[in-house]
Amino acid sequence: MELHVNGKSYTLEAPAEERLLWVLRDWLGLTGTKFGCGIGICGACTVHVNGAAVRSCLMPLAAVAGADIRTIEGLAEGDGGETIALHPVQQAFIDHQVPQCGWCMSGQIMQAASFLAQNPQPSEEETARAMSGNYCRCGCYVRIRQAVQQAAAAVGGEEAAA
Amino acid sequence: MTQDRNHTEQAGPPAGSPNEGGEVKGAERADATPAKKRRWRLTRRGFLIGLGAAGAGLAVGAYLGRPVLHEIMAESMAEAEHAGSGFMQLPEEPPLWLDVLEDSRIRLSLTKVEMGQGVHTSIAQIAVEELGISWDDLVVEQADTSSKLVDGFGTGGSFSVATSYEPLRRAAAGMRSLLQQEAAAALKQPEAALRVEGRGFAVADSPERRADFYSLVDAVTNWDLPAEEALQLKAADEYTVVGQPVARIDIPDKVTGKAIYGYDMRVPNMLYGAVARPPTLEARLLSASAGEAEAVEGVVEIVIDVESGFAGVVADTRSAAWSAVKAMETEWDEGHLWQQEEIEALIEPAGEGGVTIQREGNAADALGKETTITATYRSPFAVQAPLEAPAALADVRDGQVTVWVSTQSQERVKGLIAETLGVEADGVRVVPTYLGGGFGSKLDTGAAVEAARLSKAAGAPVHVGWDRTEAMLHGYLRPPTKSVLSGALDGAGRIIAMEHRQGSSDVAFSFMPGFMAFVMGADFGATIGARINYDVPNRTVTAWRKRLPVWTGWWRGLGLFANTFAVESFVDELAAAAGADPLRFRIDHLPDSPAGGRMRAVLEAVAELSGWGTAPPAGRARGIACFASNTVVAQVAEVSVDVESGEITVHEVACAVDCGLVVNPDGAKAQIEGNVMWGVGSTLIEQAYVKDGRLKLNNFESYPLLTMRDAPNVRSVLVDNGIETPYGMGEPPIGPVGGAVANAFTAATGRRIRTLPMTPARVLDALAGGES
Repeated sequence: MELHVNGKSYTLEAPAEERLLWVLRDWLGLTGTKFGCGIGICGACTVHVNGAAVRSCLMPLAAVAGADIRTIEGLAEGDGGETIALHPVQQAFIDHQVPQCGWCMSGQIMQAASFLAQNPQPSEEETARAMSGNYCRCGCYVRIRQAVQQAAAAVGGEEAAA
Repeated sequence: MTQDRNHTEQAGPPAGSPNEGGEVKGAERADATPAKKRRWRLTRRGFLIGLGAAGAGLAVGAYLGRPVLHEIMAESMAEAEHAGSGFMQLPEEPPLWLDVLEDSRIRLSLTKVEMGQGVHTSIAQIAVEELGISWDDLVVEQADTSSKLVDGFGTGGSFSVATSYEPLRRAAAGMRSLLQQEAAAALKQPEAALRVEGRGFAVADSPERRADFYSLVDAVTNWDLPAEEALQLKAADEYTVVGQPVARIDIPDKVTGKAIYGYDMRVPNMLYGAVARPPTLEARLLSASAGEAEAVEGVVEIVIDVESGFAGVVADTRSAAWSAVKAMETEWDEGHLWQQEEIEALIEPAGEGGVTIQREGNAADALGKETTITATYRSPFAVQAPLEAPAALADVRDGQVTVWVSTQSQERVKGLIAETLGVEADGVRVVPTYLGGGFGSKLDTGAAVEAARLSKAAGAPVHVGWDRTEAMLHGYLRPPTKSVLSGALDGAGRIIAMEHRQGSSDVAFSFMPGFMAFVMGADFGATIGARINYDVPNRTVTAWRKRLPVWTGWWRGLGLFANTFAVESFVDELAAAAGADPLRFRIDHLPDSPAGGRMRAVLEAVAELSGWGTAPPAGRARGIACFASNTVVAQVAEVSVDVESGEITVHEVACAVDCGLVVNPDGAKAQIEGNVMWGVGSTLIEQAYVKDGRLKLNNFESYPLLTMRDAPNVRSVLVDNGIETPYGMGEPPIGPVGGAVANAFTAATGRRIRTLPMTPARVLDALAGGES
């Protein structure tokens, strides 16, 4: 099975029905993607498949073979050296001091990044709707909302410039 | 029993690379060696000088702040008639440690775990303040149990900053003083001529003359301890780090996926375990066999010990372990099949065994004479549901036991594993990782014990991570409660008498030896928030400890949420009977005391913040509630009610808190926001119940959590009443949420809901005139 994750290619002898979440975490060691519920409710396992936010806990490996998969570890852009440029959503989550325990945050950030790529200038209502499939048990919702709106301004600004 | 080693070696997943640790970290490198043992010498100032430590000669440790801890505990204990003193196992070893690294940075090792409350950052702020060094010259390290730092209490109870503050200040100031003495000798200058410059001391008017910290400690073997009175602590108005919204040190790794939690722990050649679960509350394992589990590809070991009720598997992938454990054949004696109605009947606050925890005047007498208002309030079972389910990695081989685990009490994990494996506790090394939420649930850590058992059997490192259904069903829950409140007003609208009869199952008592429950009478965890703190001449609070077939225990705020919901709802009912404004009514009944003054200040602050007394936006109404412990909290909720669907929307929550000295105001506000979300979730959504002998819970579809769509906006203000000691912040703000929302609902509809959660069905029933 051929898997493309964060720009790297892997060949795996994994069962076709194994869920992407466990392949990422246990086979590839990419533990930034979290297990929360295993049934697609909480959103902690959200990753990008060809740019779309998907729940990796439900995604059979066979369904994503050959696809472009991106996880939280691959969201920031490296220049090959020491420097990495955080994604605007990651930067906004730092600026607003969003995470508490942090367990849901990879999923929140991946969800927000995918959402903003499709809707760079959302209303607060659109943001709340897009983010309401991601649980945060620590209750960081006020800050998540603020951070996603800030990131929208940044992403929207980039799009306008481009 | 299968033991398919060859298969294991071929398998891909366990051979993945181990986690890489960062410098400031919740999880240590998997290959890190245990720290060398130290010898302690206790000084008369209550901090410890470490002798013979690895590397340089000076290290300073600190006991947790017994005075502060005792003050807080005494307050909790005051709710029990007999305040036990044996609850706190004060350790012989310190839980905090400062030493100098070879690059002259100072290392703060601490036992308190980071679970999102920001404690590593706020404790570091206290150390940096008194050391006088810059933020970047402190290294924060999570201690594991081999470090010999001991925290017998664990991380919880909103105690961490409050208990660390004084002793850490003294330890840090003591270390600075010792270093300054040595620098003075080395540089042949009076101490007063020196100042901290980077990672050492320099002569103030010729900074090129300097001595780095490490050079100072490296050269000296005997320390001339400063006298008690010579220890110069900064005054609060000199603070430049404490009181600042310093950015949390754990956040960068949490937005890039690098932070390592118990569920994430990896070492080479690790395997995965899963354990068979009892099907009912009272189930007892009668027999177990491998069944079809042996045929599941990847299974390495099957472990059965019927006597201790244990049946589990080890496999080379988590999916295989989960499949195999379901394929095992187990037979259970299911015991009595409990129903919710039986539970409800048990929780009745009446009959034998009531313990009076507060009595002033004669409430029964006064209530008999006056027109009495009585109301009954209920709260259901609830789960903590941290999004990281219980998880641990254990490596039990060659007489060594190492466990990496998300835990709020590494000492408890150590003890439980030692007991289970029959080894010396000192031989068990427990390494706490970051926690993906705790909220009280991770003071117990069954996954660690299971991982240790399975690792011992398999002869390989084994990771056990519970699935969501296991996490829902097999931890302890918030107990259900029933509160019956009665009150009477005099002709002037003042409360003349008030009584609170409270029934709950165990919180703290679930984790204490039986004799402690006997000595203390009432469970302080169950009764926190039940007291009547208003100035009422005749008041009585009596608590009934009810034993249930459901394991109940620690939950954020303990009994605070349910009790404050009951008391503060009832105070509004009394205010309505008196025809008084709820804010004015509360202020008028505050005691003339420092505590009453602090409460008045936060009530007035929240009134201003929320616009109390002005008209709310159309269709909305406001409710107020408050709670006082060491930390004092008042909240106003602004809600609207959809009379068609029965849905309550909480739009805004304003919160004013006086938590004493604030170490990190942004962190304090984050705790307020989180507590409000918890409170709103518990007020509107969260509940669990028993059916046919088991909890009617499986995954989040049976126990949904609050989402952003339903999350209120939260505005908060930290009120400075001049207290120079920090108090708890992780739990108190959850107290008033239920009462504030319930009171706002009544303001909006004229109806009252007295049973949580306030679901659409209950709302519609209340609007139709029902007694919800």
